[in-house]
Amino acid sequence: MRYALLVAWREYAENAKTKGFWIGIFLLPVILFLSIQVPIWLEKKATPVRYFVLVDQSGKFADVVESGLEKHHQKQLLEELNDYARKNAAGPEVPALLKEFNEHNPRAVDKFMTRGGKESFLAQLRPHLKPGAPAFQEPRRSFQPVKAPAEVNSASDPASVAEVLKPYLRGKKTLEYEGQPIELTAAVLIPRNIEAAIVRPKSKSPATDRQSAATGQIQYWSANAGDQRLRDEIERLVNNEVRQREYLARGMDIAAVKEVEQTYVPFTSLNPKKEKGKEAVSEADMVKQWAPSGFVYLLWMAIFVIIQMLLNNTIEEKSNRIIEVLLSSVTPGELMMGKLAGIAAIGLTMVGAWMFALFGILGWKAGGASEVAGHLLTTLKSSNLVPLFSLYFLLGYLMSAGIILSIGSVCNTIKEAQSYMGVLTMIMMVPLLTMTFIPKDPNGPLARVLSWIPFYTPFTMMNRAAADPPLLDLIGTFVLLIGTTALALWMSGKIFRIGILRTGQPPKVLEMLRWAARRRE
Amino acid sequence: MSVEAQLTFGGPALELRQVTKFYGQFKAVDDVSFALPAGSIYGFLGPNGAGKTTTIRMILDIIKPTSGEITLLGHRSALDVRHRIGYLPEEKGLYKKMKTWSVIAYFASLKGMKRPAARQRAFELLERYGLKDFAEKPTDALSKGMGQKVQVLASIAHEPEFVILDEPFSGLDPVNQEVMEEIIRDMARRNRTVLFSTHVMEHAERLCNRILLMARGKKIFDGTIPDAKRILPRRVRIETEDDIAPLRELREVASFRPIEPPVTTVPNSANGPPHSNGITKWELELKENSDPQSILQFCFEQKIRLHSFNQTDPGLHEVFVRLVGPEAKEAAFR
Repeated sequence: MRYALLVAWREYAENAKTKGFWIGIFLLPVILFLSIQVPIWLEKKATPVRYFVLVDQSGKFADVVESGLEKHHQKQLLEELNDYARKNAAGPEVPALLKEFNEHNPRAVDKFMTRGGKESFLAQLRPHLKPGAPAFQEPRRSFQPVKAPAEVNSASDPASVAEVLKPYLRGKKTLEYEGQPIELTAAVLIPRNIEAAIVRPKSKSPATDRQSAATGQIQYWSANAGDQRLRDEIERLVNNEVRQREYLARGMDIAAVKEVEQTYVPFTSLNPKKEKGKEAVSEADMVKQWAPSGFVYLLWMAIFVIIQMLLNNTIEEKSNRIIEVLLSSVTPGELMMGKLAGIAAIGLTMVGAWMFALFGILGWKAGGASEVAGHLLTTLKSSNLVPLFSLYFLLGYLMSAGIILSIGSVCNTIKEAQSYMGVLTMIMMVPLLTMTFIPKDPNGPLARVLSWIPFYTPFTMMNRAAADPPLLDLIGTFVLLIGTTALALWMSGKIFRIGILRTGQPPKVLEMLRWAARRRE
Repeated sequence: MSVEAQLTFGGPALELRQVTKFYGQFKAVDDVSFALPAGSIYGFLGPNGAGKTTTIRMILDIIKPTSGEITLLGHRSALDVRHRIGYLPEEKGLYKKMKTWSVIAYFASLKGMKRPAARQRAFELLERYGLKDFAEKPTDALSKGMGQKVQVLASIAHEPEFVILDEPFSGLDPVNQEVMEEIIRDMARRNRTVLFSTHVMEHAERLCNRILLMARGKKIFDGTIPDAKRILPRRVRIETEDDIAPLRELREVASFRPIEPPVTTVPNSANGPPHSNGITKWELELKENSDPQSILQFCFEQKIRLHSFNQTDPGLHEVFVRLVGPEAKEAAFR
């Protein structure tokens, strides 16, 4: 045992010095941090304000677009305010306030605007703010109309207006807004005779007429084809207005139509597996359902990284013939045990560091900046995901390590090992490919079949962990996994003992299995 | 020292009895028996493929013999006495990224030394053998010869009683070969037993008390170097300008033949034996148990004037070639 520990200690100490180990340790925290921080950062800073010029020759839509965009901004503002209130305010009146201005209610924005907007909302909220709450930061406007440059003659035909605006749209010229030079994202040109272009179900469609298509339509000019939000928003506003006018023209009660438009039935998702009274499915439930997939990925990464180390070290000892010196000091069994334990310790260190970072970053971000982080943290604390992860990590590692030691013991160079590793990697890819399907049907046939294949048990059962798999699956697959792992290690022990002193061409897999089946070497 | 170890003291340090090893159908070692007295330096000779490494591996219990018994320091398995054994394998290698001292200390600790003691010992050895500056460097910074020296140090750091060195001289420059010889002699002086294999007969001749010669898995010779030399007939070389025909009649002489004169000389007749300035060199092979002095006396009596008289023993090299020559050639072409 002492000798196995000495071997284990060397494996640990030497592998802890490698670059791969440290990259492995820091990779996850960095990815986690970025995946939480980048969306926050993008939301706050990176989405630029889209400046646009609106030339309305018909004179019928400019006001509609402007007020519509203002309402769009107010809606965003209200959402932010609600978020801010949820995080920073407490007290019996807060829920009422939140309910009144619930952003899902189509009338909430109108109410919000008529009742004094941001200022009055904040004034109502102020008495309930928690001590030390940060000041509210108003989100930036997504879309900002600016005045057309002086050289645009809004009376000339749309084609020549577009011609004048093109250098601005291409970024060759800049406009000025509030004293700052800005880049124009888009120009919207509404021609004088737009009325004639309106398509009605029973009239002949003018869109089929190419000639008028060029002149008679609303033109949206922009060099940015990726961000269509401004176009969509303006299109929606204009068409809404067109329909409003249709209602009027047909003598319909505009107030009634508005009321109808704002009529809705609230919708809620419920989960029958949850406690009575708490069945509502929330964002937290989504996180809980998908969190195991993250752990599957971690499991896979951790196992893959450390079995590579195991392979490299085994082959190094073999190719350098250090193995002979080792075997004059320790038995092959002690050597194998030591290597397994040393690399397992490396893996546990890495996984431990990941968990530490995970809880650290989530705890740090859960306070306010990220709701998902908060849900994830609650999920981790309240479920058995972390202990299950550790258990499946160890068993999954030991099983693959058995295979790796067999491969390592018969190969003299990494190159020779690569052909075996190619096959192994392909087999190992399956849990990654099924990772996203299993949470959608966690107790379905695919999930159950994969669970009962011992090589995939750790990954699949980890994936199903949040869905309360049947006890038969949970215990049955676990017992099978332990049994198969023991068998894999016992067989690889025999292959290792024979393979490790062999030189020359690596044997076929069948021959290796024959060694494993042999009663005595 | 344990009671058991004391009991074995005085007995053979190593004993093999009818050891045979098959690899599948191939008989790598065939019924080999020998015993090594404690405190001796034993040369283990034989052509490539003779079964030396297999025998060494069986002695170390890295592989099991198919049949036969091995007793090392009174124990059936080398692993029972691993603290007391040192081993330098034929193909040398070290962990590339490990520090030099750390490799020595690791192997010593696997041989039962405590970590701090092993570390201290590693530094001592590196200093003594001129590698102090490399102690903190990874071993892939060492030259091949230095690396081999480090490996030798790693195999003896724990002061083993019994050391097996497989080809310890290969890859070393002449200076370091002498250092290696000194290490071996030093161990013998402290009553350690050394078994080493080599292809260089001069080393064996200088160092060994006894040699063991194997070929094709079989033991061919086991004994002292004088014993080995006695296998070949003794030779006498003489230089004379006189006719040596009378020597033919002497019963001690088995055969004689002229040998090449120095290349600078020119033969003075087309058919005559090679000679320089009329002097011919002859080599006489003597029959077993004959005294070279009798040749000298006979020449004196027959008035054969000798310019030189050399009584040469056959080298171990010749013994080796004579004993395993055909085998070795065959092995080389296999």
